Amino acid sequence: MKTWKIGLVLAALAVLAGVPWYGSDVLVQFGINALLLAVLAQGWNIIGGYTGYASFGNSVFYGLGGYGVAIAMVQWQLPFAVGMGFGVVLAVVFAVLLGIPVLRLKGHYFAIATLALSQVMTAIVSNVGIAGQNIGLVLPPLNNDPLFYELSLGLLTIATLTIWGMTRSRFGFGLIAIRENEEGAAVMGVNTTLYKVMAFALSGIFSALAGGIHAYWVTFLDPASAFDISLNVKMIIMAVFGGPGTVLGPIVGALTLSTISEFLSSEVTSIAGLFFGLVIVVAVVLMPRGLADMLRRMRKMGWGYFIENIRAHRL
Amino acid sequence: MKALLEVRNATRSFAGLVAVDSVSFTLAPGEILGLIGPNGAGKTTLISLISGTQAPSAGEILFQGESINHMPAFRRARLGIGRTFQIMRPFPGLSVLDNVAVGALFGRGGGQPKLAVAREHARECLEFVGLGKIIEKRADELGGPDRKRLELAKALAMQPQVLLCDEVMAGLNHAEIDEVIDVIRKVRDRGISILVTEHVIKAIKSLSDRLLVLHHGEKIAEGTPDAVLADPVVIEAYLGKKRA
Repeated sequence: MKTWKIGLVLAALAVLAGVPWYGSDVLVQFGINALLLAVLAQGWNIIGGYTGYASFGNSVFYGLGGYGVAIAMVQWQLPFAVGMGFGVVLAVVFAVLLGIPVLRLKGHYFAIATLALSQVMTAIVSNVGIAGQNIGLVLPPLNNDPLFYELSLGLLTIATLTIWGMTRSRFGFGLIAIRENEEGAAVMGVNTTLYKVMAFALSGIFSALAGGIHAYWVTFLDPASAFDISLNVKMIIMAVFGGPGTVLGPIVGALTLSTISEFLSSEVTSIAGLFFGLVIVVAVVLMPRGLADMLRRMRKMGWGYFIENIRAHRL
Repeated sequence: MKALLEVRNATRSFAGLVAVDSVSFTLAPGEILGLIGPNGAGKTTLISLISGTQAPSAGEILFQGESINHMPAFRRARLGIGRTFQIMRPFPGLSVLDNVAVGALFGRGGGQPKLAVAREHARECLEFVGLGKIIEKRADELGGPDRKRLELAKALAMQPQVLLCDEVMAGLNHAEIDEVIDVIRKVRDRGISILVTEHVIKAIKSLSDRLLVLHHGEKIAEGTPDAVLADPVVIEAYLGKKRA
């Protein structure tokens, strides 16, 4: 990476890290949500963006991370950090046990199978006593938003560094090879099953950690909110909007869309959802490969970039 | 000479259609074996059975004397079996260089873990097949002949002991065919055994040490190129009865 690029990223990180000192409480709270969504988008980026498996099961990891923290803190009176570790263990076990059969499916079939997982998990957890059944769990409150904010930012930084390291490693090349052509990857010596499960688990670890932070922050967790499928849709939209399979795209996507969504819901309260939908549709038509691709190719092609995309949609 | 690769009565059927019917042959170290036959004869299926992308319905495949029947494709690649695809399968979104680097990162013996070293090796392979000047291009920007060369470079970067070339000459003009033949000969000079399929006879005749002819999935002839091509059974399979 060029020096000015690294400088730019570090400057952005410093600005973000300073928000609790110069920003309002509302901005910090918005920031926590936006940063956690960015972590989820990055998590999805590993399995969906780099490996090419559009997972609708990542909200399960998020829920498991939340329950890991909630069960550890409420039922066993253990510290938050242990709960985070427990959530990660749950996510990895889930990724391995269900990843092995489900990752044999491709394309739409994989998406549908993972979509079913979050529904099944809601039903299962609603009947587990230790998880508070369908009533949920109330966590001990910790009134320290700046801490949650910096935790979320720290997690996002780690997730992004992991992905950056991945893109220049054998593991990352294996994942991209699987995405581009799975059979071609196998005959070149890529252990596709192992790599896919590892990508699924890695993606699950970051999602679970985000879920754990979120659960402790909002101090309440029930099956419906923990395994919310609309959250999974959100992380996909954000990752794809920013640029799937790029290091920074999903972050840019998550922060941009969170801001637009927040702005709309405060300015045009009643029809904010409609506007947000419109933004998505326009984005898909004009820049189907995300912001990262747009910025790269706009330099060469100018406005013709959008015209070409519109043509590709046969509109 | 001891066989590097041995195929014993390999059979593969697809719901009643027998694509490969009890085919046996051996491939010696450093040998170029030409596999010919009309379209649909089962050449590609046979290559898939060896590379592990399809499982045989019956029969056995041995590499260095050991059965590899139950080995998944990636393990066979790590043993040293490399292949190219007739329907080219580059990684379209990657640069030409990184396409080949994947072969070096994985490939025989598990490959090279360092990306910089793998890219360096990939660059050499690309020079070798004549693509040294366009390594930064995206793979899906290449035309047909260059894609064929890219397929070869990807397989070579794996440092295979056996190279299975599936129709690397199809769709090329005379000059390009001569270039590919030249490259394959140079590959053999490195000590790599090569199984090459083709349905253009002329191209393969000068290249192969031995020829094996498939027709409707069965082996109908095997031997030196001149003997095989003079065989009336082979001529009949290619040209029909009247001309024979």
